Amino acid sequence: MLNYNSIINEEINHNGLSIREISPIMKLNLRGKKREFFTTVGKDLNMILPTKANTSAANDKLISIWLSPDEWMIISNEKVQKDTNKYELQELLYNNISKTNLGAVTDISDQFVQLELEGKNIFELFASGSPFNFNEFKEKKGTTTQTLLNHIDVIIYHKDQDLVNLFVRRSFSEHLWSWINDSASRL
Amino acid sequence: MFLINCPYCGERDQQEFKAGGEAHIERPKQPTELSDDEWAEYLFMRKNIKGIQFERWNHAHGCRKWFNMVRDTSNDEIKLIYKMGEKPPSD
Repeated sequence: MLNYNSIINEEINHNGLSIREISPIMKLNLRGKKREFFTTVGKDLNMILPTKANTSAANDKLISIWLSPDEWMIISNEKVQKDTNKYELQELLYNNISKTNLGAVTDISDQFVQLELEGKNIFELFASGSPFNFNEFKEKKGTTTQTLLNHIDVIIYHKDQDLVNLFVRRSFSEHLWSWINDSASRL
Repeated sequence: MFLINCPYCGERDQQEFKAGGEAHIERPKQPTELSDDEWAEYLFMRKNIKGIQFERWNHAHGCRKWFNMVRDTSNDEIKLIYKMGEKPPSD
């Protein structure tokens, strides 16, 4: 994370729902299909990539989120240093996967803004702007989805009960943030 | 509005998808040997029937994968969904 100005500095608190940005977090995008890809990534991450749709896997350091049958997002659990955008894990994966043509590793730390939503009525907020059916999603911890929220592409990760992480592209983040602010105030 | 069963993600709202036109159009093996009319036929001419149509769709706001769909254009009833590369049903 180097040169960027976050638009989101304050925290939203409305009707028992709080929303804040979590930053800086390492985010990597992994793509690959081959069997060797899975074994190499498994060794490097110390985690098996989830292959079931709309699920995730987690250990004490990382969370891997299923995006598509050959695409995952890896995020760090803990915040990383602000004055660097070099990550040991990215280098390791880059050398073992990208350089050996097993797949692709892309650093998307700065591409996505990570928001953390906490409160009882998170899914009521989502329901006011998303076509996705959250009925099953909200029952299960660790579920993920990519969908639309107020016509903006988002990745939603159900971290814990009443705790959800939302990823939105940086250029859309200010717009989504103001929509969330407005929408949450009307819940 | 209708629901589409993405072969990878499951049932999602139509808003998340983009239609990609007619499916199973084969690129001519020797384009240079075609007349302009034949080339235009391949490039531009698409069926637009009222009834059962074979289409390509993309889960644009989800997994971003392409798949095939057999849809009745008169009432939006989805008859079948199958992955790219799979053969279309004969009947």
